[in-house]
Amino acid sequence: MTLKATFDWTQEIETITLGATKANGGTRKVAYTIGGGTTLPFLEPAGAAKAPLVAFEICDNPVFWPQVIRDYCGDLTNNPADWAKVAEAQYGADLVRLYLTSTRLRDFSDIGSVKTTVETVLSATGLPLIIEGSNEPKIDSEVFLKCGEAGQGERMLLGTAEAGRYRSLAAAALAYNHSIIAQSPIDVNLAKQLNILLREIGVQRDHIVIDPYTGSLGYGFEYSYSAMERIRFSAMKGDTDLAMPMICSPADSLTVKEVREHEPGLGDEMAVSWEFYTGLAAAAAGAEIICVRHPKTIPLLKQAFANLLPAAGNAGVP
Amino acid sequence: MTDVEQEKKLGNEQMKTRITGMGANFSYDETAYHLPVSFALTGIGVHDQKAALEVYEKTGGNALVASEIILAHETSVKGKEPDPYTGFVPDTILRKLGYSLVDGSILGLALIIGKPQNADSAAAICRELQEKYMLTFLAGDVVQSLSGAGVKLGLDYRLIPLGSTPFYGIHFVDIIARVAMMFGGVTPGDMHRLLHYAAERAKAIVIAFPGLTPEEVALADGMRVLGIPILTTGDYSGGDWITAAPTDIVRRGMEEKGIRVNVTAIPIPMGCSPAFEGKSIRKEEMYVEFGGGRSPAFELLRVQDASQVIDGEVTVIGPEVDSMKEGSANPLAILINVAGKTMKKDYEPVFERRIHNFVNYGEGSWHVAQRDLIWVRLSKEAVAKGVKIEHIGKLLASKFRMDFPELLDAVSVTLITDKEKVLAAKVEAERVYAERDARIKGMKDDEISTYYSCTLCQTFAPNHVCVITPERMGLCGALSWLDGKIAYEISPSGANQPVERGAVLNPITGEYEGVNRFVKKASHGEIDRISLYSVMECPMTCCGCFEAIALMLPEVNGIMVVNREYKGMTPSGMSFSTLAGTIGGGAQTPGFAGIAKNYILSDRFLQGDDGIGRLVWMPSQLKEELKERLEKILADRGMDGFFSKIADENTAATIEDLMVFLERVGHPALAMKPLV
Repeated sequence: MTLKATFDWTQEIETITLGATKANGGTRKVAYTIGGGTTLPFLEPAGAAKAPLVAFEICDNPVFWPQVIRDYCGDLTNNPADWAKVAEAQYGADLVRLYLTSTRLRDFSDIGSVKTTVETVLSATGLPLIIEGSNEPKIDSEVFLKCGEAGQGERMLLGTAEAGRYRSLAAAALAYNHSIIAQSPIDVNLAKQLNILLREIGVQRDHIVIDPYTGSLGYGFEYSYSAMERIRFSAMKGDTDLAMPMICSPADSLTVKEVREHEPGLGDEMAVSWEFYTGLAAAAAGAEIICVRHPKTIPLLKQAFANLLPAAGNAGVP
Repeated sequence: MTDVEQEKKLGNEQMKTRITGMGANFSYDETAYHLPVSFALTGIGVHDQKAALEVYEKTGGNALVASEIILAHETSVKGKEPDPYTGFVPDTILRKLGYSLVDGSILGLALIIGKPQNADSAAAICRELQEKYMLTFLAGDVVQSLSGAGVKLGLDYRLIPLGSTPFYGIHFVDIIARVAMMFGGVTPGDMHRLLHYAAERAKAIVIAFPGLTPEEVALADGMRVLGIPILTTGDYSGGDWITAAPTDIVRRGMEEKGIRVNVTAIPIPMGCSPAFEGKSIRKEEMYVEFGGGRSPAFELLRVQDASQVIDGEVTVIGPEVDSMKEGSANPLAILINVAGKTMKKDYEPVFERRIHNFVNYGEGSWHVAQRDLIWVRLSKEAVAKGVKIEHIGKLLASKFRMDFPELLDAVSVTLITDKEKVLAAKVEAERVYAERDARIKGMKDDEISTYYSCTLCQTFAPNHVCVITPERMGLCGALSWLDGKIAYEISPSGANQPVERGAVLNPITGEYEGVNRFVKKASHGEIDRISLYSVMECPMTCCGCFEAIALMLPEVNGIMVVNREYKGMTPSGMSFSTLAGTIGGGAQTPGFAGIAKNYILSDRFLQGDDGIGRLVWMPSQLKEELKERLEKILADRGMDGFFSKIADENTAATIEDLMVFLERVGHPALAMKPLV
């Protein structure tokens, strides 16, 4: 006997295109369409089911990066272009997420460097890019303008819009046809409100990815999980303002006590475990993109997703 | 004096002649939008005379289309004008301009055309536009006048010289048309969407100096169809152009188009933040005080016509703080005048309540109570730092503008400290208070078809929905129907949404089809029905913020109310906190309802449960608080003496005592039909 796994849902998740290949005016080797789900994660019938994408996070100033990753990746952390290249060729990432951490330095003013960095990373990898811009409202306008310009035609995903500051991101998305990450602090209503604000300013629904904010497993992830569940339930029940794909970054899991104060020699193992289990849980809650910082987490997640997807010919829940 | 209507007619005819006699091909460089105005309006990409004529006819000889065709033709024949004129602005630059508009670093667009009589006043207008974050385009002699007056031009200065004649002003329109297509999702040819976008979203104004040819008048006047106001300093008559003095023309135009400058810093010598809100100023810390029963003091906020409110103006009438004796009580009147296109008289009391919050935001200022009961203090520390009465005015003027940028265009504050003048102004204030009371009192649920929801508490009570009506305020006691209405207008996507009442399902319990539909959706499908006025049948859900709980006592066939402040045991056998834990979290619990204390005074209270006659018990403190008002209401309903039949913890501590008490006083609930 099989159960119907669509539960009378009425609404599909919006589809979003990440990256543009030559045929579509970009230079990416690959482009993805995420979203389009009609039911809960991993319950789609074989054929329609898609594994979540795994993005590898890099940055342009490792001062702000977890020590365990700096130790593991070594010199690469000082060269975002090489790092992105390795993420594609060796780590097996689907996407590269570049944090412009250099803009977080006190009194940062070298706006021109933002454009150069984005351009170098774009030419170093053929994967679609996620760009995390400024963290400082004062320079948002200039930074996101540069990001938008640098990636024109590449259909990047730009982050991160919040309720108090989304205008520059929205402007960059509108002017240069990128998508944006809309983050709310683990709250379904705030997630919805931000999406409405973005809609009002003119950002189309197929250009928004929800970031419900990801707590670390054991340190509040259950709140994120519950917010994600509610976002997805509301979406399936017909709330178009929440019917967008979700992105989760378990970055917080690299700063938990167990990872920071690991036993000698177990640093990588702890980091990977924490990232993996948080990321896997986020995927089970419905995330379409999981972002990680430890290269060794990538194959583990991919293997787990493959195991969770239905085998061909096995429709519905057994 | 130029007659706009007459010139426009002439201009349109002249353009028609020029267009029909025009040959050759033409187009703009570096754009994907062909001739943008024509393309946006009709979806036709004009590149030759045939298409040009087709568009011209299709749009009924529109002056904007005509101007665009003529200028594009001229440009292709004669080439672009030399520097400093930009001529047609390419798409790549426009993308950046559009970015700044969406991102808010540019607030709006202005076009200045014609020949100013006075270069200095034109320069002053430009300076004001720059200060107000407007991006200004220039066309005609104004460019030379400004250069002559030493004004720097260029994109970096937000002053862009389009061309040597006002006719180049058409580029202003092709910019708006392209922004609409690039950023506004307007599809070429969708004229309706374009006009809507231009009118609602494009924040644009035109200032016309003298010397426009008939064709240029027709062009400028044609922009009104896009919702762009045309302002002049008084050289044009007729038509719908607005005349304003040079010193007022920018303010007038921005107001007309609803373009607002955000206030970010408050120029006062003390901190101002919600962080200071809870800090009180004790007697020994106080330098001076006002009101609190020690001296006459009151506050009044009123909506005035925009022409009567000068934004940011603060006036102090009477002695300043430095001539007041330390430790003294002084008279004070806080009079605030506000103006805004969408401001309504109904909002006055809600805004007036904000004076309380704002004054408390000041690090050294403190405020309690309202209307003519206010009590205000300034601390020694603040006065030592140079804080004056005037700064309270500045704080209020700035905070109102900062917090309500959508509703308020101008705020001015007058502070009176002269006793005679305070008393004189108070007479008028009392009249306004009385008028407001009458108005609020007069609002009845059944006369209004739109209620407001509140889902603010869904952060912790995920499926809770409050439905707020004029006669039943939010259960927290903090949000009235008017507050909900205003909150919705301020933030249309926020936690307060309009709820259309819809068909009446039960007028007694207050069940409505529209309300049910809304609640079902807003509770994520959890709650199917609610009745607005019943505790017993499908009561509203409870978050956790309720001021009081109404609950049934089946043993005595009545309903009791217990407020949050009451710490003792109730006849139900449960304390407030135990009860609150039982019914909160967004659940619907028949027999229990969270309510605001003031709701007890509403005509709708317990309407669905056979009326207020069901009320059998309240803590004595709550009884005391409501006594005066409730007794009057009961008397009006012919229920004299009922108040004393309501028991409290002193007359009935347990359910057994309560039964005895109710029988002794002959409480009406005992004779009513069984509750369950």
